Amino acid sequence: MEEGFIDYQKVLNNEEHAIKSTQSVIQKAVDWFRSKSMFVLAYGTGCGAIEMPPTFTSRYDIERIGVVGVATPRQADILIVSGYCSYKTLKRVIRSYEQMNEPKYVIALGSCTINGGMYWDSYNTIKKLEDYIPVDMYVNGCMPRPESLIEGFVKLQSNIKDAKREAGYIKYRENNLFYKDNQKKIFGDNIEPTYEANFAGMNI
Amino acid sequence: MIDSLSKQYEIEDKGNRLFKIRINQNEFLRTINFIGSSSNFITLSQIACSDWIEDEVFILNYILTTDRRDKNLMIELEISREQSKLPTLLHIFPQAEVMERDLHEMYGIDFIGNLTLYDFALEDWNEIPPLRREFDTLAYVNEHFEFRAGREDNKDVKAETKRRRAEAKKLKAKKEAKK
Repeated sequence: MEEGFIDYQKVLNNEEHAIKSTQSVIQKAVDWFRSKSMFVLAYGTGCGAIEMPPTFTSRYDIERIGVVGVATPRQADILIVSGYCSYKTLKRVIRSYEQMNEPKYVIALGSCTINGGMYWDSYNTIKKLEDYIPVDMYVNGCMPRPESLIEGFVKLQSNIKDAKREAGYIKYRENNLFYKDNQKKIFGDNIEPTYEANFAGMNI
Repeated sequence: MIDSLSKQYEIEDKGNRLFKIRINQNEFLRTINFIGSSSNFITLSQIACSDWIEDEVFILNYILTTDRRDKNLMIELEISREQSKLPTLLHIFPQAEVMERDLHEMYGIDFIGNLTLYDFALEDWNEIPPLRREFDTLAYVNEHFEFRAGREDNKDVKAETKRRRAEAKKLKAKKEAKK
């Protein structure tokens, strides 16, 4: 095998990723199609953004596993938060996330999103991304190479396909108060109005 | 050009094509005006600031560069930490706008005449400007963030590096002694 590539087919065909859950046949088909067509909003929050161009272009060419970049959050299924998030950035990340249509997933890239990384004692950088928006897949490393990112995608695809874990957007919908409270803790009252549609009480 | 300036100011040659002038706050505007208009130091490349809390002053360095980019001139001045006010340089160097805005945010220095001194990199910041030395970063972080479990056994990086270096040195000395 050529240097730098992981054997992603092996990961895909692994026994442990076989469909075992209690999805209906139609749901299984829908999830399978969904896992093969991921539209990514690559939000370059930090230094991790530098690993994205090689991942999406000819050297690693992630399009071969069905991952394509898009320009706006409204067309995207997946948000990549690539690296450290300052308060200012986080506000934009949340806004982008809320504009995305469901089903939507978040991949957090790098140690900084996991525990603050080298910015663990920074006054302006958040320490755990999952406190503010739900994260479906963490890819650790400082910085993770494109191979790691690809592996993260493959793992996320298998999670979507097999409906193994509760998707983040469902958590965000059901535990919205938890996330909003955490967001409020750092933004105070300057929080942006939510984009989540609230149809209850609306006269349509 | 340095020669003509040295007739008026005491210029220190720092080597590596870098020169330095120390001035008072009173003659600041006059000096910068003079240098900006009558010499070839036409670019303001940086305004650097350091906080000397023991002496209760900020030391600012205005770094100017020539049109040929072959010489740098540092203009150093001290201002009081308590009343940190300076006139803006926007009328001579328009690029000072961002630098002054940054200094205002990080050190709380007021630049009179600059109308853009609002939020820059930090949004909705209500604490002491974070690069002032009285701002306790660690206390702020402990108060505002919850850490993920698993960092408790973290070692002090500096102490650990020192220990490892000392160990490596000992090993090396032992090997050499054996030879």
